[in-house]
Amino acid sequence: MGLAAEIHRIARETADVEGGGHLDSVTVVVGDLAAVEPDLLEFAWDAALAGGPDEGARLIVDWRPARQICAFCGDVPERAAGSWLRLCPGCGEPLAVIGGDELEVRRIALTQEPRAARELAPSVPLEETA
Amino acid sequence: MTEIDVKQRVLAANAAAADALRAAFRATGTLVVNIISSPGSGKTTLLEVTARALKSRLRLGGIDGDIATERDAERLRSAGIPARQILTGGACHLDARQIEKALGEEGPRLAGLDVLFIENVGNLICPTSYDLGEDFKVVLLSLVEGDDKPLKYPAIFARAAVTVITKADLLPHVDFDLSAVRRQVAALNPSGRFLVTSARSGEGMETWYAMLEEELAVKRGAPVQVEVVP
Repeated sequence: MGLAAEIHRIARETADVEGGGHLDSVTVVVGDLAAVEPDLLEFAWDAALAGGPDEGARLIVDWRPARQICAFCGDVPERAAGSWLRLCPGCGEPLAVIGGDELEVRRIALTQEPRAARELAPSVPLEETA
Repeated sequence: MTEIDVKQRVLAANAAAADALRAAFRATGTLVVNIISSPGSGKTTLLEVTARALKSRLRLGGIDGDIATERDAERLRSAGIPARQILTGGACHLDARQIEKALGEEGPRLAGLDVLFIENVGNLICPTSYDLGEDFKVVLLSLVEGDDKPLKYPAIFARAAVTVITKADLLPHVDFDLSAVRRQVAALNPSGRFLVTSARSGEGMETWYAMLEEELAVKRGAPVQVEVVP
């Protein structure tokens, strides 16, 4: 829930810097080793946005598999879902993480008023133009 | 529709606050230990006993995170060390900004400590993701929780530098395969330490105290700190 709120804060701040607008979707990169469950994150996302101006914005999870390499035999073993492989199954040496621990906001999609309209009538409230 | 590239780490704001805390703790030579476990595994009891044993030779303090009540901070104060309660109002973890705020409000009471214990909200999941500027995380696992927990909650056991088994005095009474847990933790965290303790009988407590004093000495003797990967 804290992560969902933080993702929304980053997305909203970015949107405001870019001139505001309606938030359509937010893409987050989530690695297998980030200790984040995508289904739960999506559930928390909906809860975090409920009742606010960005309610209904979509969360798109760009899932990245774990990549761990053995320094001794160079093997990059496959990791079974739900397991946290830390030792090389081939030689028993500790594995180094080379990918799959990401947790970042990658991009947002906004619907903005056409720039020309905003520049021509910057002070007219939306209700009056509709 | 406009697409905008962001490429910002979700926890960047927390990481910045944690880095500021870490720099402040480095300047005062304070060892900071972030304690994480399920509710009821004995975090507060471990700290009460530790406080009574070490307060004559070390300046200790605590920050306790809970959803409700001041109970834990009161227990640590009764054990003779300054403690601050943070009420999260429903949130399942502490974040670095809460620690900054609490330390700012406490002022001299929690300043210049030898060891600051941060007792996180009871939960094996969310606290794992939040760096609090600590030197290391400690995860507690009590015998009554079952011997499959490292495999079921691998992230915290992989990230905690120390795994402390608690309530070891119950070993004759419960089906808990200690060697299996030791193997699970070793596989998840090959460089981690593994302690078996009972705050009630005192088993393993001297090893725990010695580890704290050793880590404090290392921190004070070696000002170059390895950054903890969140």
